[in-house]
Amino acid sequence: MKTKGRIYFCVFLICIAGFAVFSASRWSFKTGFFPLAVAIPLLVLVLCQFYFELFGAPEVSKGPAVEAEFTDEVAPEIARRRVITVFSWIAGFIFFVYVVGFPLTVPLFIFFYLKFQSEVGWLPTFVATAITWGCFYALFQRLVHLQFEPGVIQIWLGL
Amino acid sequence: MFDAFIDGLFLVLQWKAFSLMLVGMGLGFCVGLLPGIGGAATLALMIPFVFTMSPPEAFAFLLGMHSVAATTGDITSILFGVPGEGLSAATVVDGYPMAKNGEAGRALGAALMSSLVGALIGAIALALAIPIVRPLVLTFGSPELFLLSMIGIACITSLSGLNLRGQIRGFAMGLLGLLLSTIGQERQSGSLRFDMGMMYLWEGLDLVPVLVGVFAIPELVDLAVRGTSIAGERPAENLNRGVMEGIKDTFRHFWLVFRCSAVGVFVGIMPGAGGGVAQWMAYAHAVQSAKGAKDRERFGKGDVRGVLGPGAANNSKEGGDLVPTIAFGVPGSGAMAILLGGFMIMGLVPGPDMLSKHLAVTYSMVWTLVIANIITVVLSLAVLNQLAKVTYIRGGLIIPFVLLLVFVGSYTANGHLADLVVTFCFGVLGYLMVLWGWPRPPLVLGLVLGKLVETYLFISVARYGFAWLGHPLVVVLIVLMLVVIIYPFVREKPAWAGGGD
Repeated sequence: MKTKGRIYFCVFLICIAGFAVFSASRWSFKTGFFPLAVAIPLLVLVLCQFYFELFGAPEVSKGPAVEAEFTDEVAPEIARRRVITVFSWIAGFIFFVYVVGFPLTVPLFIFFYLKFQSEVGWLPTFVATAITWGCFYALFQRLVHLQFEPGVIQIWLGL
Repeated sequence: MFDAFIDGLFLVLQWKAFSLMLVGMGLGFCVGLLPGIGGAATLALMIPFVFTMSPPEAFAFLLGMHSVAATTGDITSILFGVPGEGLSAATVVDGYPMAKNGEAGRALGAALMSSLVGALIGAIALALAIPIVRPLVLTFGSPELFLLSMIGIACITSLSGLNLRGQIRGFAMGLLGLLLSTIGQERQSGSLRFDMGMMYLWEGLDLVPVLVGVFAIPELVDLAVRGTSIAGERPAENLNRGVMEGIKDTFRHFWLVFRCSAVGVFVGIMPGAGGGVAQWMAYAHAVQSAKGAKDRERFGKGDVRGVLGPGAANNSKEGGDLVPTIAFGVPGSGAMAILLGGFMIMGLVPGPDMLSKHLAVTYSMVWTLVIANIITVVLSLAVLNQLAKVTYIRGGLIIPFVLLLVFVGSYTANGHLADLVVTFCFGVLGYLMVLWGWPRPPLVLGLVLGKLVETYLFISVARYGFAWLGHPLVVVLIVLMLVVIIYPFVREKPAWAGGGD
């Protein structure tokens, strides 16, 4: 699965680099020079990596790369389910911002996440939601005066 | 000059200036903790308040706030893996793994103490540089600045695995970062590149949503997958001892902290380079300083040196940033450009006057940097133990609040829904990169340096053709760049020679 994933990732990068080369080659020299100078070696490197992934011997030593590692203490099935769950919450947050706007999404998100994902009791959920919303409102809306786009519902209702 | 130096101290210690500095520090502390709302944005918000202040009061207020924001930005980076300031992502790479290893206190202690040392070195550099800055800055034209940026890119060698495939992956990610930096309007001709027909991309990708997505989202996903607290099931460390260990680490690795501070000062002095560059170059230098492959392998998994280097550089660059701002009116970063507005409001003209007629005011800035950082670190150390306990709270209770911080931080970049989508997309990309062993730091380094590289390259070619390649300083910098690329291989020869590729 991991090898398959790496191959897919290479294909993804090849597509990006290929698209960049194709696009930049049609621009004027001044506009396209730098993207081409970057995209061509990127394409070559990713093709090399693709070749290694397909035909190379298994990588014996990864070498001391500076990078974090994810936990391997959770069963892959459970891990996959949890990954999908978190990304769904994130996507849901963005969707709600689109629909009802940022200020309303904040308390809704905190409430629903604490209540249904973290399974916290009603009272602490309400208290945490109220405090979060209060802080958000005081800091970002009253003090910093951040402008938040209205959601489609507010636009539709003319609010 | 000595009189002006002492006068500068007394200007800051006047009750009104000192009180305003404390207010600024309080604001900077809060702002530093919130991702996305960096010191520059807060400076812009606070500029209108300085109209009624005298110059020393205004600079005590503004600089107190700005320098503290740089220090406290490391706290969220370490505790939650969310870069406190968009550009301070380098601290996340080792700081957050330390928190996961139950060493949050140690990481926080190290970050704050190295920040203090860095700030002091930056302030000293500013004080010393004032008389000699002119020839130094004028020596560096576009070709030299281009090569300096390329040296930054060359640091990718250190941030990638030292076998063939590791280097391919590292440089591919660096190039991807450079390619992403070309999105939007091309600066010279105004032509649009890779904008996909979206007006949002005309200005290019903002760093904050990208950095927060690439670094914070994967860590949050991992936290959710583990289903534990950030520090997991590890026994609670003796937090007091942890903080003290971090402080001791700063002095155990003092030479490294000093070198990384020097990197920060130097990058700060160079106009346009910005804090992200200083942090990443310092981080790469910290990795290069590892003794052997085994030692190097600890970076990215929670090595305190990976916290000390960026922490020191992040604060020392503030002193460096002020040098060209004060001496020439050429801002070293976005925040300094806003501070320049403060100069104008105060009726001060940056340049020779600041080094003669208003020298006491100039030195009051040096003292503000010193005093504000000392107070912040001392006060922060008192609450670090409590802060570090956050890493033992159940992940399910932390995640929604951190996600909220992530999205508010991203949204402040442009105030556009697309900022959130960019964060999400780069969050997925960052997650897949970690999952499949593609390093994230080179991607960020490429993105941070991309615009600088292109701009300086264009100006160099337009101004000198290719004759600039023969400039003596350019030749020296090319050699230095080659050394940066080759040095890790020479040092690790057995590791990459027998790496299995």
